[in-house]
Amino acid sequence: MVCTSVNSTSATVTTPRNLAELFVGFLSIGARSFGGVLPWAHRVMVEERQWLTPEDFTETIGLCQFLPGPNLGNASIVLGKRWFGIRGSIVAALGLYALPLMWVITFAMLYSKYASESIVRGLVTGVGAAGAGLFIATAIKLARPLAGKPAALMLITGSFLAVGVGRISLLFAMPVALLAAYVVARRGLL
Amino acid sequence: MTIIELALYFGLLSCIAFGGLPSVLPEMQRYVVNVKGWTSADDFIRLFAIAQAAPGPNILFASLVGWKVAGPVGAVVALASISGPAAVIAWNVSALWEKYREAPWRVALQRAMAPLVVGLILSGGYVLATPSTVPDWRLWLIASATAAAMLATKVNPLWFLAAGGAAGVLLLS
Repeated sequence: MVCTSVNSTSATVTTPRNLAELFVGFLSIGARSFGGVLPWAHRVMVEERQWLTPEDFTETIGLCQFLPGPNLGNASIVLGKRWFGIRGSIVAALGLYALPLMWVITFAMLYSKYASESIVRGLVTGVGAAGAGLFIATAIKLARPLAGKPAALMLITGSFLAVGVGRISLLFAMPVALLAAYVVARRGLL
Repeated sequence: MTIIELALYFGLLSCIAFGGLPSVLPEMQRYVVNVKGWTSADDFIRLFAIAQAAPGPNILFASLVGWKVAGPVGAVVALASISGPAAVIAWNVSALWEKYREAPWRVALQRAMAPLVVGLILSGGYVLATPSTVPDWRLWLIASATAAAMLATKVNPLWFLAAGGAAGVLLLS
């Protein structure tokens, strides 16, 4: 059932031999990825198990960033499909989500047990505010290459004012904004 | 009924979640807190904190909203509905990637998405740090200090979450 990936540098790559190996690989990504899942995905799939070349990894993540939905969730679908078809996609996604799902539920149950303590509430809210800060930092990092483009800055400001401050529904804002941005992009302004 | 409503709405969000969870977080907050009142704004930021502190893709936050709404079944249903439709799209579209990677419309679409994703992630941070209509300077202080630290260093973000928690104990409890 091993499908070798169509890849110019496939000499150094060993694709997972069976579904069990695929599952365990994704399980180990999900289990260890405290503080961000992407570096761990790279470590497991490129460095430890050598399922993918670094270039192939970057390319796959590039595709998954272009698609809607969670990056690595999509990567599990795309890579699972490449190696084992539909069964591979299902097994990889289950492996990725199984342990983190148990972790968050455990954390949430622990929290609700002690939620009446004001110290616990302060702690958890503080973590949430720090998480908001991480979002803001990520946005600034992603915005840096766009800084020289006035149209991009207008779209950033516009979407922030509409969705963040104005609280307009994304179901309405996304199609409108995407259409406007696409027209601007086709004119070479982005 | 609530769980079906949640599943349908998250399924819809899944299809427009360009950039992943951060992009749809402001919309989730609007719907779950403002429209439906399934959680308070204060609980929303705490559920988000729990998801950030746990390992795994941050989309797991959706499962905590589901858990809050309908217990363990809700958690699984929420996770399946926020990742399922996107997974179906990924499964079908990935084969076309090689063919259209350099196509002008695809390149333009990617360029179009970049600034919107930035604006939406910024919105996510803003919405989280502003749970009530009156801004809380303590939350903004923690958020901006974390953002500055993240931009200035290369430390694992988990340390910033820990520092935020410590600041929360001092300032908020």
